[in-house]
Amino acid sequence: MPHLGEVLASRRAERTPSLLVYMMAGSVPDERFLATVDALKGVGVTGLELGFPFSDPMAEGPVIQKAASDALARGFHWPDLLRLLRSCSEKLPCAVMTYTNPIVQRGELSALQDLASAGGSALILPDLPVEALAPFRRARQTTRVDTVLLASPATQAERLRTLVVRTEGFLYLVSRYGTTGAGGGNTPSTQGREGELRPLLDASHALRPKLPVLVGFGVSTPEDVRRHLSAGADGVVVGSAVQRRLSEGESPQGIAGYVRGLCDGLTSKGPSA
Amino acid sequence: MPEWYGPFGGTFVPETLVPALQELESAWRSARKDPAFKREFQRLAREWGGRPTPLYFAENLTREVGGAQIYLKREDLVHGGAHKFNNALGQGLLAKRLGKTRLIAETGAGQHGVATAMVGAKLALRTEVYMGAVDMERQKPNVQRMRLLGATVRPVDHGGKTLKEAINEAFRDWITNVQSTYYLLGSAVGPHPFPSIVCEFQSVIGREILQQARSAWKALPDLVVACVGGGSNAIGTFHPLLKTPAKLLGVEAAGSGAPQAVGSASLTKGRPGVLQGMRTYLLQDAEGQILETDSIAAGLDYAGVGPEHAYLKETGRVEYTSATDTQALEAFHRLARTEGILPALEPSHALAEAIRRAATMPKEARIVVTLSGRGDKDLEVVGQHASPG
Repeated sequence: MPHLGEVLASRRAERTPSLLVYMMAGSVPDERFLATVDALKGVGVTGLELGFPFSDPMAEGPVIQKAASDALARGFHWPDLLRLLRSCSEKLPCAVMTYTNPIVQRGELSALQDLASAGGSALILPDLPVEALAPFRRARQTTRVDTVLLASPATQAERLRTLVVRTEGFLYLVSRYGTTGAGGGNTPSTQGREGELRPLLDASHALRPKLPVLVGFGVSTPEDVRRHLSAGADGVVVGSAVQRRLSEGESPQGIAGYVRGLCDGLTSKGPSA
Repeated sequence: MPEWYGPFGGTFVPETLVPALQELESAWRSARKDPAFKREFQRLAREWGGRPTPLYFAENLTREVGGAQIYLKREDLVHGGAHKFNNALGQGLLAKRLGKTRLIAETGAGQHGVATAMVGAKLALRTEVYMGAVDMERQKPNVQRMRLLGATVRPVDHGGKTLKEAINEAFRDWITNVQSTYYLLGSAVGPHPFPSIVCEFQSVIGREILQQARSAWKALPDLVVACVGGGSNAIGTFHPLLKTPAKLLGVEAAGSGAPQAVGSASLTKGRPGVLQGMRTYLLQDAEGQILETDSIAAGLDYAGVGPEHAYLKETGRVEYTSATDTQALEAFHRLARTEGILPALEPSHALAEAIRRAATMPKEARIVVTLSGRGDKDLEVVGQHASPG
């Protein structure tokens, strides 16, 4: 399977929007997980993000929190992730998303070697600051596993420059103030959630024109997809909306049908993008 | 203001929080140089908070133990009944300075929640406190106090339902509401600059101990003891004494004390990792999943510890040990009966170890124990365990 970063970059060059789907590894039996991946491949998903559960997922809303605790309760461990990743990466380009501690406990190099040998292309750690990136960049040289950085509507210009320059594979742009999921979590919100993304997307593309920028967090409707693409995103990540269906036992075909509905939003990326 | 304490500390947070932490750091830098800020803090600490607190000679307890003299730094006498006031007041004033309209906080034992609710009322800031459901059950009086002070208490009902989960939930709220909201973190934990801000506001404890010891004895204490959960009363006690010859001892919670139990003793039973914004000692499994902790003291029941404690352990400047639930309860009852003071269960851990050491030390030696809070909140828990005699 080709490398996720290369796939996203060539799609950006061709102005073809991308769609990544996030699902928590281990939250359901592997068989059902893989059947869902097959169905997703069938509807044209660009790549997968496999969540690896962490006990204290600070950036997650209730759906992914529950998926993580389900996976841990089912006794899902790192070797199980690698086995699942090996199967998934035969079907679609794959990234792994987790938190910093499970990775640093294995050692950055060792963890990235494991991911590379299971066919993984990238690692996404929402609590890893760019200041702690050095060991991951060193490990990139031998493993080719990208460490993807995140930016947010709160990110200021100078910081964005650093993130855009240092990220590998793509930039993950968080759509708004809040945790993952459409509901935005258990917490009350005292402010408009939606950040203005266009200036961040424009700045990122100006700084590093070949770098794909994907928008995630709270993407759940074709309208969300259209809005982010028309603001200049190269693609979107859908997580909680798919995970909720997966956790509730929806069939692979049902989930793929929902995602195909989102893909309808992908085709409407105008020539201005 | 250090971001790193040796290899510990740092800023391991989602990118959305980075500007808020930078804004906090710069506000803090300007506030600590501003004489007006300092005056206001000191005035409220004195007139509203009751500082300075006494350094009290526990004469009866000393006589009964029959060794070194035991002194208590009476943070239980601060307004609200615990040292948490010192930090909540300071950060509340910082929140005002930043123009924030809403305070959020986590709380374990409820003392930090109560202190934040007091400060929210005084400074007219809307206050919401996250508290684990298990802690709400075992620290009911503090839940009621927070509500009477006008705060909203938000139960956290997942994981171990204690302090760690309350911190996760407070961070999630902050990520969502960072523009309007100040996260008033209660312990010397979390991402930079929280550990150093909390340390500085709590260092009033150690500074007063130094002044009081010099004026009363013309000497330093030989041993200074404090309990360590996240470690705010301990770092405030130790920090001003780091460059003195005084021996410093932090006491963690060993929980039930069963052979396989880790209790909440992250420094004595854990290893370094990354959690809730910081690199520090953590109780975790082989794959880096954080373990459920246990302690009779809700305020110590936490899988991590402030990064400066991790560093002080590695350098050897501070010794860390642990006391069990049973040892803490014995110390609780002993202080109640000898000195007429009901200590909180958290400092009862420090007291247990201080009593043990005192018995082995000469009569001229002086031990100071930071009595970080009063025990009224713990009556129900204590009542569930048989009292001696």
